[in-house]
Amino acid sequence: MSEMRSGAGDAAQASDLLVTVAESLNERLALTAGELARSQVMLREASGELMTAFRGAADRLVAAQRSVPPGTTERRTEYGVVLDHLYRAVEHLQSHDLVNQLIDAQKQRVEKMREKLEEALMLASSPVADPQRPDQWIERSRAMLDCIVAGIRQMDEDARAPVHKDKQSAGSVDLF
Amino acid sequence: MKTILAVDDSATMREMVAFVLESAGYRVIEAEDGAQGLDRATATSVDLVITDQNMPNMDGLTLVRSLRELRDYKSVPILLLTTESSDAMKAQGRAAGATGWLVKPFDPATLLEVVQKVLR
Repeated sequence: MSEMRSGAGDAAQASDLLVTVAESLNERLALTAGELARSQVMLREASGELMTAFRGAADRLVAAQRSVPPGTTERRTEYGVVLDHLYRAVEHLQSHDLVNQLIDAQKQRVEKMREKLEEALMLASSPVADPQRPDQWIERSRAMLDCIVAGIRQMDEDARAPVHKDKQSAGSVDLF
Repeated sequence: MKTILAVDDSATMREMVAFVLESAGYRVIEAEDGAQGLDRATATSVDLVITDQNMPNMDGLTLVRSLRELRDYKSVPILLLTTESSDAMKAQGRAAGATGWLVKPFDPATLLEVVQKVLR
């Protein structure tokens, strides 16, 4: 009888430890989610600022190009060259958009893992029917671990899923 | 001045498309998803539609199909500008009535060339 009580004590301790680990992981993932969201906001702000600057510059260039008197082709060409540089910059700016998509995918992964951790913690929130029985603690720990493992598996699967897109076809055009 | 409707849920992408086309003398109006795109297209006369595929509320292919059902948009060119690049998706685009398929990230000069071509 006392052996069973000691077994139950050990199993309860292990279960508590699992709860601590799940809580701690959940807190860290909450921080990660916050950082990802903040990065996304900062990236969007940076993209927005750059686009505003590019558009302002392009508007001025186009206006200047139009005001060049006919015959002075040299200046007109020069404006065209600067505009081309802006086009190049815009092309690179598209990578911000792709990074945003990647951050979205990471946010989703973190959210799914947090859901699973919260599910596991919910399982630990109700008292076990008979605390003196080790099998009940073990059963609870097993159910919690199942949740956590399912979350990890989901994250792995999401990471393996093709995010996007073969690089070779980037920029390709098909007219039907 | 020709009017182009740019539909994309990414504000940055819409701005980029607008930047390139406005600097070439086009008027650009924007919509942030297919449903809003459809509203804009029915409220204003548009000469060309450039739309992303994956968007909330209504995706690009649904927008193409919906526009093609409207009398005013039977022959207006519609370009898909998307990160989707599979042949299957392109075939769906073609079947829906899209005029062309451009894969992001786009080269501004190429976009301009295509726009000029389809608007000719």
